[in-house]
Amino acid sequence: MAAKEPDLIQLLLQEFSQQTKFMGAKAGNEYYLEVSKEALPEVSSYLVKHLRASLATMIGNDERSINGSFRLYYYFAVEYEEIFIVLTSAINPVEPAFPSITPLVPSAQWYEREVQDMFGLKPVGHPDPRRLVLHHDWPQGTHPLRKDFNLDSLEKLPSSDYPFGEIDGTGPFYVPVGPIHAGIIEPGHFRFSVAGETILNLEARLFYAHRGVEKLAEGGSLEAGLNLAERVCGTCAFSHSVSFCQAIERAANVQIPERALFVRTILLEMERLYNHIGDVGNICAGVGLALGTSHGNRIKEAILQLNQDLTGSRFLRGINAMGGLKKDISDQQLAALKTKLEQLAGDFTDLAEILLEHDSLIQRLRGTGRLSLVAVEDLGVVGPSARASGCIKDWRKVFPHGVYGQLEFEVAGETSGDVLARLKVRVNEVKTSFDLIFQLVSQIPAGAIVQPVGELVPYQAALGWSESARGNNLHWVMIGPGNNIFRYRIRSASYCNWPAVPLAVQGDIIPDFPLINKSFELCYACTDR
Amino acid sequence: MNTVLTAVLQVILLLVLAPLVTGVIKKIKAHLQCRMGAGIFQVYYDIGKHMKKETVIANSASWIYIVSPYLVFSTLITATMLLPVITKAPLSFTGNIFVLIYLLALGRVMMTLAALESGSAFGGMGSSREVSLAALAEPSLILALVALAISGGSTNLSTIMANLALQGIGLLNPSHFLAIAALLIVIIAEVGRIPVDNPDTHLELTMIHEGMLLEYSGKGLALMIWDASIKQLLMLTLFVNLFLPWGMALAGGWLRVLIALLLYLLKILILSAVLALIESSYAKMRLFKVPGLLATSLALAFLTILSQLILRGAGK
Repeated sequence: MAAKEPDLIQLLLQEFSQQTKFMGAKAGNEYYLEVSKEALPEVSSYLVKHLRASLATMIGNDERSINGSFRLYYYFAVEYEEIFIVLTSAINPVEPAFPSITPLVPSAQWYEREVQDMFGLKPVGHPDPRRLVLHHDWPQGTHPLRKDFNLDSLEKLPSSDYPFGEIDGTGPFYVPVGPIHAGIIEPGHFRFSVAGETILNLEARLFYAHRGVEKLAEGGSLEAGLNLAERVCGTCAFSHSVSFCQAIERAANVQIPERALFVRTILLEMERLYNHIGDVGNICAGVGLALGTSHGNRIKEAILQLNQDLTGSRFLRGINAMGGLKKDISDQQLAALKTKLEQLAGDFTDLAEILLEHDSLIQRLRGTGRLSLVAVEDLGVVGPSARASGCIKDWRKVFPHGVYGQLEFEVAGETSGDVLARLKVRVNEVKTSFDLIFQLVSQIPAGAIVQPVGELVPYQAALGWSESARGNNLHWVMIGPGNNIFRYRIRSASYCNWPAVPLAVQGDIIPDFPLINKSFELCYACTDR
Repeated sequence: MNTVLTAVLQVILLLVLAPLVTGVIKKIKAHLQCRMGAGIFQVYYDIGKHMKKETVIANSASWIYIVSPYLVFSTLITATMLLPVITKAPLSFTGNIFVLIYLLALGRVMMTLAALESGSAFGGMGSSREVSLAALAEPSLILALVALAISGGSTNLSTIMANLALQGIGLLNPSHFLAIAALLIVIIAEVGRIPVDNPDTHLELTMIHEGMLLEYSGKGLALMIWDASIKQLLMLTLFVNLFLPWGMALAGGWLRVLIALLLYLLKILILSAVLALIESSYAKMRLFKVPGLLATSLALAFLTILSQLILRGAGK
């Protein structure tokens, strides 16, 4: 794409001429900078503080078979330039440690803990170096994402106590909740420190649903990788498959047909619709307002059935292909979709009107679970949760994928950061989604639906992304020999947002926690993978 | 006709009918929410199912945990005997509204103690919430009943209801409605329904009454579920018979008893529908706002007593 690198890169290279080396652009807009590991914190912090970049994802990779070392990739998104700056640093296996950037860039906290668990690379100076992904029944020194990890020789240890944070004083009580809950939800352990009903501190311990998806993909074909991507979680299946396909298409430098892009965009919006409408209903369930819950479920179910009619899968699995689509959706189907959605849009508008004028509901939502803009920016919160706190970023606008670049729409945003704001953002996004689908259906061109992706050069890598109902889902794929996957890294939106929940509940009361949690509506499965 | 026999029959009626009322409320709620809902006999099936299941008891639990369901059950039966349902109460010759209130309080104390026994965090949270709300709900209940007792000229429930019925249409004066409004609020709190508590929730952190039952299983759970529905019907009966006391068979033969029974069922059905409607159209209140609601009930009961004293003064 751009022949000359942006001024930004020049500026960075001048500032850190000793420690950095420009490695060229990959996949069009990924600018690689080789950085010595000692300089990582300094350069990262410069990127965030002076160039207003934000950490999008971080990837650890065992490249000992290629070049004899481990490698870290820090992906910084520079939204105003629509580029990524990738700080990459080789870690010598003799000394598997690197200086943590978390003290300067807090949003790196989980990434670095995960790299420590999965690769045995120690982030020196990390403020919270406890285990994250691997629970304590994993023996010390086992790092599953190392290439020489052997599952058969693994010995399972009896589970031991996890060192939870402590609160001093005589008043506070600990309330442990989960991982098994009274309702049918995903597993997560929540440790509340409370004084009476007021929450002083909350620690969430997750990763009970770790299935080793990234490891499973390694060495498998790209097609198998796509199948895995679609099954990372139930509610963002399509967004994950789009992100995966995009990563492959970007690595292969394939332009996919216009019609396929339109269909993908329509389906991304369908996924957003059923999620958001279901979530609006679920927020009502958090306060026992059955009216909102049942109508939310009714409309959500209608949309899931439309998904089934369009693609054969309620959760939109099995239609995406690398390079386009596996099957087309006919114009008659799209016309029928439009008619049905027009009716559902009317139903939802009525529901939203009732809910937003319902005093007893609004009283519960206003001021509950406030998340500050500072916390959002520090932790790198994404999606509706960020937009409700005044961080109005939507990757449909800032990094347009599909055909979002050609469409007209407003990004919803609120500033109060409470449950009510998150509800309003969703309500407005639902309205936008209906409108976008109507635009797409009327503009969709005829033509081919797939552009085959050929054999890829080994050790090529690229990032793919899409904005799901929870925020951007980022997939990074490195191709290995034989057109197989060498390394697959999934960073879901929920992964970024989980650390924000404990901050949002501080000072609220315990019975309001389910409501606050529902207003974030985070997924455990794609966080854990 | 045998008054003792009808009196005993009405106690049995109340015990047997109680799960059905819970089922009916659930069914009406389901219809209001565009759902099919479970059948109206579902609560009986649930109780039957739990009766057959194994009972698991926490290591930390003492005799209180095992005895509580039975004790709560017996306080409720005794309370039922003090309550005129379709005719005079079997124990109407002894005991009054205060005995009724203290029997309910005894049941509550046993239940909150039992919930602490298992050592689970949810039982403790349920108990602490139940007790702090009860500290506000009980005075409201006492005051509302005292207001009606002044109007009825006695503290004996059978006599109150008979005297209220004798006042004819004149009973429906502003002070009566004030008392009834006070009673309705406190009854919603006592039976654990929205906006105070949500009986259908699976969110363990928001539970009050359900939180106390979380660790129960088998027969204990079956009995606790039955207890809850008996208490609910008891409160509803208290409400309808004080609000609209006409039609009770305070004297007379089988035909009057039959008419009284039909009228009673109709009144309970209407009140159930009202509760289901309230429950479907409101969100649960924030826990710390519930005291405000109960304080409203208390204030209404106060106003009733004041207005009665003033009205009586004006009449002289």
